[in-house]
Amino acid sequence: MLAYILRRIAQLVPVVLVLTVVVFCFVEALPGSIVDTLVGTEGGDIEEARAILRKEYGLDRPIHERYALWLVRVAEFDFGKSLVTRRPISTELLSRIPATIYLAAVGISLSMLIAVPLGTFAAVRRNTGVDYGAQVTSLAGISIPEFWFAILCVLLFSLYLGWLPSSGYVSPFDDFWGSLKFLILPAAAIGFRQAAFTTRLTRSSMLDELSKEYVDTARAMGLPERRVIFRYTLRNAMIPTITISGLQLANLLGGTVVLESIFAWPGIGRAIFEAILQRDYPLIQAGVLVLGIIVVLMNLLVDLTYRLLNPRVKLA
Amino acid sequence: MTGENKKGTEQSRRRFLASTTALAGAAMVGLPPQDAAAGKKHPKRGGTLRFGTRDDSVGLDTHRNIIYFVSHPLTGITGGLVDFDDKMEPKPGVAESWDTSADLKTWTFKLRRGAEYHNGQTIDAESVKWNIERIKDPKTSHAFTRSVVSGVERVTVDDKHTVRFHLKEPDVALDINLVYYPVNLMAPGAADKADTEPVNCGPFKFKSWRRHDRCEMVRFENFYETDAEGNSLPYLDGLIGLPKKEDRVRLTALRANELDLIDNVAYADAAAFKKDHGRTFETWPVPQVGTAMMFFNLKNGLLSEKDNPDAHLLRQAIAHAIDREGIHQAVFNGIGSIANGFYGESSPWHPKGIAPSSTFDLDKAKALRKKAKGGDQRLTIIANDTFPYMQQSGELVHAMLKDAGFNVVLEILPSPVMLEKQGKGDYNIDSTANSYRLDPDGWFARNVLSSAPENRRRTGYVNEKADQIIIAARQERDRAKRRQMYADVETLVNRDLPMLYTHYVPLMMAGHRTRVKGYAPSFTGPWSYTGAGMRRTWMES
Repeated sequence: MLAYILRRIAQLVPVVLVLTVVVFCFVEALPGSIVDTLVGTEGGDIEEARAILRKEYGLDRPIHERYALWLVRVAEFDFGKSLVTRRPISTELLSRIPATIYLAAVGISLSMLIAVPLGTFAAVRRNTGVDYGAQVTSLAGISIPEFWFAILCVLLFSLYLGWLPSSGYVSPFDDFWGSLKFLILPAAAIGFRQAAFTTRLTRSSMLDELSKEYVDTARAMGLPERRVIFRYTLRNAMIPTITISGLQLANLLGGTVVLESIFAWPGIGRAIFEAILQRDYPLIQAGVLVLGIIVVLMNLLVDLTYRLLNPRVKLA
Repeated sequence: MTGENKKGTEQSRRRFLASTTALAGAAMVGLPPQDAAAGKKHPKRGGTLRFGTRDDSVGLDTHRNIIYFVSHPLTGITGGLVDFDDKMEPKPGVAESWDTSADLKTWTFKLRRGAEYHNGQTIDAESVKWNIERIKDPKTSHAFTRSVVSGVERVTVDDKHTVRFHLKEPDVALDINLVYYPVNLMAPGAADKADTEPVNCGPFKFKSWRRHDRCEMVRFENFYETDAEGNSLPYLDGLIGLPKKEDRVRLTALRANELDLIDNVAYADAAAFKKDHGRTFETWPVPQVGTAMMFFNLKNGLLSEKDNPDAHLLRQAIAHAIDREGIHQAVFNGIGSIANGFYGESSPWHPKGIAPSSTFDLDKAKALRKKAKGGDQRLTIIANDTFPYMQQSGELVHAMLKDAGFNVVLEILPSPVMLEKQGKGDYNIDSTANSYRLDPDGWFARNVLSSAPENRRRTGYVNEKADQIIIAARQERDRAKRRQMYADVETLVNRDLPMLYTHYVPLMMAGHRTRVKGYAPSFTGPWSYTGAGMRRTWMES
């Protein structure tokens, strides 16, 4: 197991290297320049200011030189400073990534808490009211846009009932219980939609597993139904669910820009989005790189989970 | 007895009853009679105000980044030699007085004694000189801020409290431009921490900042401004800036009592919000934070005389095709007013007697387009995606020009791409806006004067007569004469059409009626200024 983990981590290196090249080229290909953004449109010495900034930020050097210099710094865990705020990028990322991971992890956990029992129950009670109810709810969850559901939640729970704040963020490290108040609505908005997908997936996986011979054998051996379902069938049915949830979590790390806007949540998605708009190259590069590494690690975690769920799965 | 007198007597009787009732009430609760009779609450110290804004500052170093007084919460930490009041007139800031030489080339500022930076360092003439020199250095300042001191040849120190600016050219507007651009002062000893822990001299001290999330400031105990009773300002203990980019998110947070004050209520929400929630929330209409317009590219392309002899005819056709009343209704929801010059009627700089630009006349637009060379060729409109009204105006103008038979495309772009296209002249029409300039020289000398880098970069408009007037106006002390000079320039602009003013950009602020007391924005919206605004705001629990 340890050798496998080390080997997978070693595989990160070429993946990350390819990622850095792609990110660098992508940013370079973007029209518009950070220098124009910073210099602005007024002032008597625009050209002089542009030249000074280009030199200061090393933008007057060829791209391969800049790439090499950046790579050396990154290898030393130095992402440099944001060209816009001039603050260390590590500070910026450290203040943003935990907020995103917090939201995504709770959102996905919430979706699993809803989806796994609901999907399982729907499969076991196939073609009953429970099954139809679960299918209609999950269809609604898939059909309703996330942002619209979020706005409805804000209207109901913040404006009409006054139970929860409509937007904002408190770090769980500063005030854990206080942070939950701000987390509930965005996490619910994420969780509801993700739960819809996961419910359908869990239901179909369970139906698939329930039709297999080992389930009939277990039942024929007189094992209690609860044990057959939860000990044997569900564990096997969870493999695709875990795979998809892992990918969903990875997607959420950078893909909650709209929800972050609605809830004024200071996540990494919005930070990278703003950085792209302003052409803050080092921040884009660092942000995408860190997210890429997290996604690869998430995939590793998913693979390891297979082994926990089903010891027959070989990690090779 | 005339009806008017009778009405006056009735009003007196009502006033008498009201005041006696108030006095009786006051006697019962032990309030000072004057306050109770006036029905006014007395300002009190304390409380922290949560301010939701659409925008946030780029960085903390006030020389490198524009910490802008209209919309950045961090403005609370900034201060400079000159301040401004609710009418945007220059008022003493760190400098308690100033004068200028007869030739307008030397400005002498007398510094306020006892004024301090947030770290307790005295604001003396040497530190002011250090600040100006840092701003003059392109390596440590932003071009926008630097533009106002680029005309300063040198700064000399007469004594600890007197600093002198020696200019290359006469400039009647240096004092107020020091506020607008803005030349804020920072403690010289704290320059190395300017990006992380800035030390300035505004009414609030910096505490923390997470961009686009939250900034916290606390009252600066030694701020120089006092109220009429000699109490030091500001009244608030603290200020929390909570930028929330989406207008409706901000408004919802206000309604949910998570904010006390917000800027930029969306135009579409303004009327309904006032009607439905006016009892709980106070609203302040701000008539003009800026002016919206269509810039035409005169440097090259179809609308430039350099490439098309009928370019002016085409610009006229475009002007006739644009229904500004439509923009007024559809983009601004009937709020504010249609522009005919840069300064609207609410501004003290509103010039009278400007010859209007073309009015909406679709048939005329079609006829002119057909007559003009290149009338069938493709035009490109660009619009910035940052501000909704620029984008929406661009969309409307695109539709209006299509109605007039123009072959036109619209590109909605982020700022860096806009800047690149403007610089290269890769556009024909730019749906844009410009913020209110406290002094007209700030607008005309940058956007109309042919030698101005911004004009050269963007429209390339050249009119020698306009140039002469703008340069002469910079040396004219008589305000009425200056105003008339700018009216003459506007007439030339409306005739030549390097741009078409479309609308004054209004703004509505809103705050909690019972909690937020004493607050009022100035007529163009800023929230931190001398004599009122945030500095005289206090919180009722």
